[in-house]
Amino acid sequence: MQQAYRYSILYFLAFSLLLLASSILLFNERIGFSYGSVLEYYLGNEESFIMAKRPSGLLKIILPHIFGFGLFIMVVLHFVMFTKTNKKRIMPYLISATFISGFIELFSPFFILYGFEFFAYLKLLSLFVFESLLLYMFWILYSSIINK
Amino acid sequence: MKSILNGLLLFTLIYLLADVFVSSSTIGFSNLEVYTTLYGNEEEFLDPITPSAFLEYLHTQIFFMMMILLTLSAIFLRLSGANSFAILSVNSLMLSALTTLIFLALVYFMQYDALITPYIFFFVSWHLIALYMTIISLWRLNFATSI
Repeated sequence: MQQAYRYSILYFLAFSLLLLASSILLFNERIGFSYGSVLEYYLGNEESFIMAKRPSGLLKIILPHIFGFGLFIMVVLHFVMFTKTNKKRIMPYLISATFISGFIELFSPFFILYGFEFFAYLKLLSLFVFESLLLYMFWILYSSIINK
Repeated sequence: MKSILNGLLLFTLIYLLADVFVSSSTIGFSNLEVYTTLYGNEEEFLDPITPSAFLEYLHTQIFFMMMILLTLSAIFLRLSGANSFAILSVNSLMLSALTTLIFLALVYFMQYDALITPYIFFFVSWHLIALYMTIISLWRLNFATSI
C-alpha cells in the first residue's frame, strides 16, 4: 500500500515542477524579471500603451491564487511533514517562510499601486524565495521517496 | 466518511465531463481545431492564441489536474487495496495526463504539429482512465462487500 502512494506523490511532484515552470514562463511573458518591467506592468506606460492596473483588477487576478497558494503549500508541506527527513528542526521556519513569502508575492503589487515603488524589488525577491523554498521541499520529498 | 467520498467522487465525475467540453471549446478536439487555435488560420483571418493566454490555460490546467488526480488516485488505491491493476491504472492515468500537458506545450512552443494527434489521444486516454477510476471507486464504495 505504502509503495502505491509513493507513485502518486512522485507524479504529484512532476505536476508541481510543471506548475512552477509554467508560472515562471507566465511571469516572464506578462511581467518580466526586472524592476522596470514590474513597475511598468502595474503602473502602466503611456509610450508603450500599457494601462495601469486597478486595485479591483489586481484583486481579480490574485483571488484564485490566494486559494491556490494556500491549498498547494498545505498539500506539499503536509507531505514533507510525513517524510523521515532529518530536517525536522527547520520545519517551523520552513512553514512560516513559505507562507510569508507567498503572502508578500501576492500582495506586494497593491503597495506598488499606492506609490511604494520599492515593493517591485520585494515582489521579485519574494517570488524567488517562494519558488526556491518549494523546490527545496520538492527535493526533500523526492529524496524521501527514492531513499525509502 | 462514505457520504463525503461519494460527494467528492460525484464532483470529480462532473469535473471530468465538463473538462472535455471546456477544453474542446478552448483548444479544440480535432486535429484541425487544435491546429487553428494554436497557430491561427490566415485564410479565415483567425489569430493564433497568444503566448500569455496559452500559458494561462496551461497553468490552470496543471493545477486542477494535479489536485484532481492526486485525490482520485489516493481514493482509488485505498478502495482497491492497491493491487497491481490499480497501480497500473494510476501509472497510466498520471503518465497520460503528464504527456498531454507536455505535448501541448511542445506543439505550441516548438511547433511540433505532428504531436497534435498524440496530444488528442493522451487527452482522451487520461479522461477515460479517470472516468473508469471514478466509477469503479463509486461502485466499490457503495456496492462492494470486501472492503
